[in-house]
Amino acid sequence: MLLKTLSEAFGPTGFEDEVRNVIRGELEGRVDEMKTDVLGNLIAVKGAAKPGPKVMLDAHMDEVGLMVVQICDGGADAGLLKFRSLGGIDPRVLVSKPVFIGPDRIPGVIGAKPVHLQAPEERQKPIPMEKLYIDIGAKDAADAKSVVKPGDAAVFATRYAEFGERAAKGKSFDDRVGCALLVEAMRSEVPYPLYGAFTVQEEIGLRGARAAAYQIQPDIAIALEGTVCFDVVGAPSHGQSTVLGKGPALTVQDAQTIADRRFAEFMWETAKRHGIPVQWRRVKGGSNDFGAIHRVGKGVVGGSISVPVRYIHAPTQVVSLDDVENAQRLLQAVLKEIAEGSFTL
Amino acid sequence: MKEWIVRLAGEIAPSGSEGRIASVLLDAVQDLADETRMDALGNAIATKRGDGPHVMIAAHMDEPGVMVIDIDDNGYLRVIPTGGLTASETAFRQVTFTNGTIGLVCLEDGEKRPEQFDQLFIDIGAKHREEAESRAFIGLSGVIGGSVAELGNGRLLGRALDNRVGCAVALQAFRDLAQRGLHVSVVFTAQNAPGARAAQAAAFALEPELAIVVDATPASDVPGGKRTALQLGAGPAFKVMDAGTVAPLAVKQLVEDMAHALGITLQYEVWPSGRSDTGAIQLTRAGILAAGISYPVHTAGAAEAMVDLADVDATLRLLVASVEAYRK
Repeated sequence: MLLKTLSEAFGPTGFEDEVRNVIRGELEGRVDEMKTDVLGNLIAVKGAAKPGPKVMLDAHMDEVGLMVVQICDGGADAGLLKFRSLGGIDPRVLVSKPVFIGPDRIPGVIGAKPVHLQAPEERQKPIPMEKLYIDIGAKDAADAKSVVKPGDAAVFATRYAEFGERAAKGKSFDDRVGCALLVEAMRSEVPYPLYGAFTVQEEIGLRGARAAAYQIQPDIAIALEGTVCFDVVGAPSHGQSTVLGKGPALTVQDAQTIADRRFAEFMWETAKRHGIPVQWRRVKGGSNDFGAIHRVGKGVVGGSISVPVRYIHAPTQVVSLDDVENAQRLLQAVLKEIAEGSFTL
Repeated sequence: MKEWIVRLAGEIAPSGSEGRIASVLLDAVQDLADETRMDALGNAIATKRGDGPHVMIAAHMDEPGVMVIDIDDNGYLRVIPTGGLTASETAFRQVTFTNGTIGLVCLEDGEKRPEQFDQLFIDIGAKHREEAESRAFIGLSGVIGGSVAELGNGRLLGRALDNRVGCAVALQAFRDLAQRGLHVSVVFTAQNAPGARAAQAAAFALEPELAIVVDATPASDVPGGKRTALQLGAGPAFKVMDAGTVAPLAVKQLVEDMAHALGITLQYEVWPSGRSDTGAIQLTRAGILAAGISYPVHTAGAAEAMVDLADVDATLRLLVASVEAYRK
C-alpha cells in the first residue's frame, strides 16, 4: 500500500532521496516527463502543451527529523550522539523513542536521565533537547564513528499500521499523505497542463516549493498537506484546528497565507456539490507550501487541501483513512470542475 | 485631498479583503489610465503609458484586522488576527466586519488581561449558532477602530489612516503625473499588514525602473518615543532604512534636492522594525530601484492613527516633483 511505503520511507528535511525514488517508481510511465531540480524537488508533468490554466499540485516529501551534530568521545558519554532537530519538534515527544539514523537505518534510542535520578525540580519541566542523546549501543566513540557521522539525519522508527475504525498510525503522515494524494492525482486525465511538485525542505521554511513554483509558473496551485488536528481531551471548538473524520480541511488563514477567498469558496462549494465532507481549518499557526508558492512571480491563485493529522510532528501520527479518501475525492472533483470552467481566473 | 482621505478611510479593507476599496481606487484613475487590473494577490494596478522611464508608485490599501475562525453553539465568534493587531488592543472594542455585521470583542470570564486571541470572543448579539451563521462565516474579516475625526488644527484621527492617506497621495500623484504625460503606474497593494506579501508580485509584473512607496512611519515626539527624531507636522520623511531595506543613495539625493527646491523640510526615517513594501519591491527580480517617502503618524501599524494634513500635502508635492525630476 502506497501510504504505508511512503510513511515508512526515510526522508528527513534535506534527505528526501528515498521518498523521491518511491514516487518516481510509482509515476514511471504514467506521466509525460519527470525531472529532479537542483534543490531536489521532483516535478512530474502531464500535458504541458495543452491549452488552459497551468495547474500545479504540491506535496512536500520531507518530514521532521533529527540531525546528529556530535559524537561524544569523553568519559561516560563516549559513543552517544548529540543531535538537533530538523524542523519543529517538541522535545517532550522525544524521550525514549526509537529512531533510525540514515537510509541504512542504524537503530538508536533517544535516552535521558531516568526518573529515579532526577532532582525534584527536574521532574517539573520537560528535558531540553540539549540534554537528550541518541544511544546506538556503541561501546565507545570509535565504534560509533565507524557507523555514524555528524550531519547524518535520523527519523522516528515507526511502522505503519491500521487500527480501530478506519484509522492509521505511523510517522510522517505530514506530508506523505499529501504525496500519496498527489501520486494518485497525477494518474488522472485533465484537459489542461498538470504539474505535480514533490518538494523538499518544507519543514524548515517552505524552501523547496518556491523554486518549484518559480520554474513551473502556475496559474493555479494547490498544496496537499497533513495538518494540525487536536479534537481531543478538553479542546474547545476554536482550539481544535480540525476534527478527525470530518473530511479534508480548507484554509482561511495560516501563518503564511491569507486564503484567496474566491478559490477557497470554489473548493468548498465543489465539496458540497459532490457530497464530500469538508471542514475549515480553524487555527492561525502553522503553514504549508502554498505560503511560499502564492508569492512567486506575479502571484499565484490557489489554496490547500489538508488531511487532519493527530499528533503531527510526533513519532506516531494518526489519520482517518476516510479523510484521506475524501481528500482524494475532493481533489479529483476540483480538478474536474477546473476543467469544466467552474473557476475562472 | 482631505475628502479623499476621509472617503478611503471609510472603506473596510482588512488584509486579504481589499476587493471593494480596490474598485473604488481603480474607478478614481480609470479616466486617465491605459489599463487597470487586479492581480492574483489582490493588488490594484493602473498604468498610463507615456514618456521616459516607467515609474511605479505604491501604497498599501489594507489595514490590520481580525478573521473569524469559529462560531459556537451560543452564537459567539472566535477570531485570529490578520496583520499586527494584538489581543490587548482588540479587546473591549467594537468590530465591524466587511459584510456590515458588528460586534463587541469580549474577554473570557475570569481572565485578567488579554494576552492571546483565544481568550477573546466576539458577541454579535446573536441568540444561537444559526443566527450567528446567518451574519458571519468562517473566513469573514473585520476591523476595529472609529471613523475619522477632524481635530480642528489640520490633524485627523481615526481608523485606517495608515495607509489610506498613502493611497490618497498615490492616487493624486498618479493623476498629476499621468496628466503630464509620464509613463507611470500606481499600485494599491494588498496584504502589507501581515508582512508585505503582495507588493513584489506587482513589481515583478510591472518591472518599473523606479518604485516609490508612500506609507506611514511612527513619529517619536511622544512619551517614551524611540530615538528616531521624527515629529508629527514637521514634514515628510525619506525612508533611509527599515527592517527590509536600505535606501539607494541616488534616490535619497534626488528627493533631498527636490525637498530643498520646494522649500519642504525633510525628515529621515530609520525604523529598524518595520517590514515595508519598499523592501519587498527592492528585492524583486534582479533588483529594482526602490525608495519610500513616508508621512509621520502617531501609532503606525495599529487600528487607528493621527496624521497632520500639512505633512500629507508636502508628501504629495515631494513625490510628484521627485518622479518628474527622475525623468530628466
